[in-house]
Amino acid sequence: MSPAGCSHVNGYKVENWKQNLRVIYQCFVWSGTAETRRRKAKSCICHMCGAHLNRLHSCLYCVFFGCFTKKHIHEHAKSKRHNLAIDLLYGGIYCFVCQDYIYDKDMEQIAKEEQRKAWKFAVPNLLTYTTWEPTKRELELLRHNPKRRKITTNCTIGLRGLINLGNTCFMNCIVQALTHTPLLRDFFLSDRHKCEMQSNSCLVCEMSQLFQEFYSGHRSPHIPFRLLHLVWTHARHLAGYEQQDAHEFLIAALDVLHRHWDDNGKKANNPNHCNCIIDQIFTGGLQSDVTCQVCHGVSTTIDPFWDISLDLPGSSTPFWPLSPGGDGSTVNGESHMTGPTTLTDCLRRFTRPEHLGSSAKIKCGGCHSYQESTKQLTMKKLPIVACFHLKRFEHSAKLRRKITTYVSFPLELDMTPFMASSKESRMNGQYQQTVDILNNDNKYSLFAVVNHQGTLESGHYTSFIRQHKDQWFKCDDAIITKASIKDVLDSEGYLLFYHKQFLEYE
Amino acid sequence: MSKDSQMRAAINQKLIEMGERERLKELMRAKLVECGWKDQLKAHCKDVIIEKGLEHVTVEDLVTEVTPKGRALVPDSVKKELLQRIRAFLA
Repeated sequence: MSPAGCSHVNGYKVENWKQNLRVIYQCFVWSGTAETRRRKAKSCICHMCGAHLNRLHSCLYCVFFGCFTKKHIHEHAKSKRHNLAIDLLYGGIYCFVCQDYIYDKDMEQIAKEEQRKAWKFAVPNLLTYTTWEPTKRELELLRHNPKRRKITTNCTIGLRGLINLGNTCFMNCIVQALTHTPLLRDFFLSDRHKCEMQSNSCLVCEMSQLFQEFYSGHRSPHIPFRLLHLVWTHARHLAGYEQQDAHEFLIAALDVLHRHWDDNGKKANNPNHCNCIIDQIFTGGLQSDVTCQVCHGVSTTIDPFWDISLDLPGSSTPFWPLSPGGDGSTVNGESHMTGPTTLTDCLRRFTRPEHLGSSAKIKCGGCHSYQESTKQLTMKKLPIVACFHLKRFEHSAKLRRKITTYVSFPLELDMTPFMASSKESRMNGQYQQTVDILNNDNKYSLFAVVNHQGTLESGHYTSFIRQHKDQWFKCDDAIITKASIKDVLDSEGYLLFYHKQFLEYE
Repeated sequence: MSKDSQMRAAINQKLIEMGERERLKELMRAKLVECGWKDQLKAHCKDVIIEKGLEHVTVEDLVTEVTPKGRALVPDSVKKELLQRIRAFLA
């Protein structure tokens, strides 16, 4: 079982052996094209008993297929003294002298390449990613840097308080949420930002620094004065010592990070194909369908979003207008008629069809005239991190106040009912099939909550963040305390951060 | 070859030709990971390796020890689903 292979393969490694081995892999092990598949189907049976099961092996020295379980290949090996065979199911090389599978580096290399090639042809939709194996250089680095951080269930690495620099709790709680966003943390801790900005005012660099501070292991609170200064420089509307809105800060911060991402003009040429980490994590697509009430033609637009702002009951706009076709069906196991308002209620309201009224007629492309229409919002593409903003601060012409209605939000959220695709299947009369067990794309887990205490004029922001799957902590500026899930779920909720449960490769 | 094994061979051939066998394999792989079967067997393999000693254990040892347990631990739901898929394919 030594990874260095066995000496008996040397008898095989003569002349054109590499090409021969490749052919065997392509034809009989990992058949990519239709032609090789047909050949494999026809010829891969045991030459002694005709069976296709029983761990069929092929002799490497001649054209012979034999069962492993029934020892037919063993008999062949003995009588012909062909001591190498290949497993047609998994591609392993068996040596009859060593009486075990051997792992020869050259042969393994060929096997890997052929497998990748076959996957590309055969089934393009399936995952073709193999497990990570360290390269020589990486092994070297690991040996030279033997210090390892061990994460136990009780360790508090990554948790650090933030000093309030004068009403900066709005910034502190967003920083806590961002530093506990797993993908963002992984990105910055693996040092993926290469700064191309000339000046010292790159916010992405500062973010990177911030992660280093949080994961340094220091337990004293961090003083984020540089971050504050950068924010004042790049988002003038947030400068000053007054209390600002945490949601506004979040959007401004994401915007500056997005802008600073690639400062040497690559983005200017291609604004729609930004590949920055902010877009990869936070950007979703919101679909807006406007349906003409006369010809029923639908005009669709898709706009990017970083957060979803949800109206609450108690605001001046009515929460549940009697919309046609409204049903009392349950979503996420809740019915909206009883109990406190839930996040799902707010989402249902957000995605309900809305009659635009006779004073807001839209020009219909089908009818070529102004007609009444309905508008409906649905999610076209969900971001990896979904941020929900409960609109608690009302700034209408009549009044400025804070809506303190309790909205209950879940730990786990399924966004499937609010997707554009779900709406389409509902409209086409298809029942929402029992979701294919492999499609877990729309399930989210709560990982951070930002709360506001007080009134519109004077208030204070705190946040709850999740660490290690089920540990929650309350972050109140410099003070971090352990919190229970109940504390989190009972809190008022202003900004709710959810993370996709299952991540997939693009 | 008996009629039964003839039919088996014919079905197998069709599955391979249409690439369905690979798809079924992938589906099964995903299901077995999800229901925890892979982890259970992995743990069992580790036990066998410790028992036989890392330097002396062969693939054969593992196959002999692990196969019966592996077969027994496959949940009925997975078996049902795959059977359904194969039936649908043959129809």
